[in-house]
Amino acid sequence: MTAVEPAESVEHAEHRLSLGTEAARVLATTTKTRPQAQAITPRWLLRRLPWVEAAGGTYRVNRRRTYEAGHERVACTALSGRFRVVPETLAELPPLRDCDDEDVLSALADRFEQRRYAPGSILVGAGEATDRLVVVAHGRVSQLAAGEYGDQVVVDVLADGECLGTEVLTGAPGTARFTAKALTPVIALTLSWQAVADLLDASPSLRAHVERNRDRPLPPRNKKGEAEIAVASGHAGEPELPSTFVDYDPSPREYGLEVAQTVLRVHTRVADLYNEPMDQTEQQLRLTVEALRERQEHELVNDPRIGLLHNVHPSQRIHARSGPPTPDDLDNLLCRRRKTRLFLAHPRTIAAFGRECTRQGLDPGTVEVDGGVRQPAWRGVPVLPCDKIPISRRGTSAILALRTGEADEGVIGLHQTGLPNELEPGLTVQPMGTDAKAITSYLVTAYYSVAVLVPDALGVLDDVEIAR
Amino acid sequence: MLVTLAQPVESVPDASETRLSLGPAAARNLATTTKSVPQMQAISSRWLLKVLPWVEAEGGTFRVNRRLSYEVGDGRVTFTDTGSGPAVIPAELGELPLLRGFDEPDVLAALAGRFERRDYEPGDVVVASGDPSDEAFLIVHGRLNQVGTGEYGDRTVLGVLADGDHFGDDSLTDPSSTWDLTVKAVTRCTALVLPQRAFDEVLAQSEALSGRLRWFQANRGAQRNEHGEADVAVASGHEGEPDLPSTFVDYDPAPREYELEVAQTILRVHRRVADLYNEPMDQTEQQLRLTIEALRERQEHELVNNPRTGLLHNADLKQRVRTRGGPPTPDDLDHLLSLVWKEPGCLLAHPRTIAAIAREWNHRGLHPDPVEVHGHHVPAWRGVPLFPCNKIPISGHHTSSVLLLRTGLENQGVIGLHQTGLPDEYRPGLTVKDMGTDGKAITSYLVSAYFSAAVLVPDALAVLEQVEIGREEA
Repeated sequence: MTAVEPAESVEHAEHRLSLGTEAARVLATTTKTRPQAQAITPRWLLRRLPWVEAAGGTYRVNRRRTYEAGHERVACTALSGRFRVVPETLAELPPLRDCDDEDVLSALADRFEQRRYAPGSILVGAGEATDRLVVVAHGRVSQLAAGEYGDQVVVDVLADGECLGTEVLTGAPGTARFTAKALTPVIALTLSWQAVADLLDASPSLRAHVERNRDRPLPPRNKKGEAEIAVASGHAGEPELPSTFVDYDPSPREYGLEVAQTVLRVHTRVADLYNEPMDQTEQQLRLTVEALRERQEHELVNDPRIGLLHNVHPSQRIHARSGPPTPDDLDNLLCRRRKTRLFLAHPRTIAAFGRECTRQGLDPGTVEVDGGVRQPAWRGVPVLPCDKIPISRRGTSAILALRTGEADEGVIGLHQTGLPNELEPGLTVQPMGTDAKAITSYLVTAYYSVAVLVPDALGVLDDVEIAR
Repeated sequence: MLVTLAQPVESVPDASETRLSLGPAAARNLATTTKSVPQMQAISSRWLLKVLPWVEAEGGTFRVNRRLSYEVGDGRVTFTDTGSGPAVIPAELGELPLLRGFDEPDVLAALAGRFERRDYEPGDVVVASGDPSDEAFLIVHGRLNQVGTGEYGDRTVLGVLADGDHFGDDSLTDPSSTWDLTVKAVTRCTALVLPQRAFDEVLAQSEALSGRLRWFQANRGAQRNEHGEADVAVASGHEGEPDLPSTFVDYDPAPREYELEVAQTILRVHRRVADLYNEPMDQTEQQLRLTIEALRERQEHELVNNPRTGLLHNADLKQRVRTRGGPPTPDDLDHLLSLVWKEPGCLLAHPRTIAAIAREWNHRGLHPDPVEVHGHHVPAWRGVPLFPCNKIPISGHHTSSVLLLRTGLENQGVIGLHQTGLPDEYRPGLTVKDMGTDGKAITSYLVSAYFSAAVLVPDALAVLEQVEIGREEA
């Protein structure tokens, strides 16, 4: 605090010819803003999700029965530079699918060796015998195949726990169909054929499991893994027609409504007296509700159970080809589903995408969203900002692509309306009474959830580098 | 997936903690769950079914009457590989204009046996313009450019040859001819070559072949317009009183008839399920809904891939072009558009091909404006919408095709055929027939979809083939 200054206005009062503003202010009423909050964002996700009524508090997503062959992806943990495969996730691999013997799985996980590869080095060459299972623990690897005329074409980019040569786990080495080439410095975990063979010899239960998975083919299914609906077509004459029925998933996923809650306290003296021109309780509530809605959007993106980032099907998780979010990457993301309604990205990611567009001389244009607001777009699909998508310490983030709506088998928001003491749809304010300190409490609750009706409704472009 | 180590799960209450009120798990026992209708991943947007105008084929058959055309054999040759290298199937030599309809198996086999294999590396000159042309080439595999001399002496690519194409075969009829084009290998190529001397040997032994040769040389130029249709003689720009040509429009005497194809299945529902478990959704209706989705998916698949009526198999050979470089560039799309230049309706490509097309746009700094179709923003090239269709196959070598259609009966385009007003009709062109209930209390329904597609004139459909969608190394 600075030293007390002499009251100037009083000192020079005799020189004034009319009433000064300082004095005039004593009579005047100040115009006041409502309390402002910086943390309020447009919350595009909440605005663009169609909200479906979940009466009874639970929503069951019925799907056709799917027979998953397993995914070529495991999870890895990193502890001070040492990577390790999470043993339970090994059961995701096709040869080990449904394996629940934890000892065997962790014995397998222990036998992985860590290796480093420089950019440009070859991890696996096409046509070579696959003598080891390779897990890309860190870094990006491009998967190359022979093209139509003998030159190499890029098939895919692997990263983050994706595997090569899973057939090694069956104990019978095959031939690699693709060449894998490191795009960045890569840390890979490898499991040699010899180690698998030793373990198969040591553990008859593992051998039995692997052989069972190999010999028991999956029932007939379509490209997406759904139990087949047998249809005959293009036939002439009178062949026997296939009989069929549509099987449903016997244990469909149920989404309970999640909750975000707080207890708002207002002193009765404040609530009773200081209400001109604004109702104090109302302003307290308004800001509390804003904070709850912000939290709700955060949970819809990040919650480990229902959050969109944690509910992406492995086949819908793709990686940036070169690092920064390029137009090519967004095109790749876009071609994975029909009717993509919106992209969702952190504002800094959108800036990085804008930079890439500018570098290639592209003007992606804008589209009108929600009547009047123009937002940047790619191929006519709005790219909406959402600061709830996390940015890692190394400056990588994710871009989500969503198809929305119940009719399109997309992503839907779940809530329940018509609740007692409802303030807004799906949000209640329940007075909790006044305590002995004259403080009135209100329980403010938001109920919400989000459901992905079929896996391809939601895709993510992972590990985009935005800090370049 | 990188997960951080052992996060304590905080939200789950400690098991030892005793609840003070009813928990949600227990409350759920009393509550009704809101249920979604069964979801299906395999449903696609089926743009082909949406863009085709559906025309009634009463009586189950649709005849496409065309003007008479004198088709020249200009098809593609097919090869076998029995392990000792590629060989041409003798009967396939009938695809060459010279041998079209020539039915002497011994002579064809003798010719087929005299082809020699040759391999070329990218950049090799296969034949040079001006050299004597004394060989016929059949391309087994690879892509070659036909390079000519432009108006002002510079070199221009006049065409692309690839698998199954042939050149030099008509030069065999004229021993003194020279090549008017240079042919250069773009990729690694394998070709089968018939030298003039081998052809002459067979010619000397076979009276039938030399008779054929004389007939071919005599009948080279029948009266027809550029599309191969019999000419309608019209006089114009004359003065005075010359004799006007009298004419008639000749029709194709054997027009193609399209029969409606069928996709069928028998849906079985147990009576007990159908009778009891109907709240809130009708079980039979849901079973039917998903079966019909599967049938419609199959229908689109057949419209693209069926060997008789599928669009990929019904594109005229002159309407099939190859990409110049491999990936689908804007130049290739422009070339395709020049083939269906009369009111092009839409482009169809596999979603991954669309991503490859978009990549080529991006690399050239192009951002074509999307167009709005039925309320959807669809990418477009030169104002022609580019629709995804995942039924267009992708080969094991990551190549695919792009289709360009003109649609509609009025402008002689591609039309879909169906028949409505069928007994037990459930949707247009789709019937559900109750087949009765058997001794196991299972009710069967015969679900049939009838459909076909017709290309009214060949230039309504064009295909860009051998589009490489594997990304080139950056």
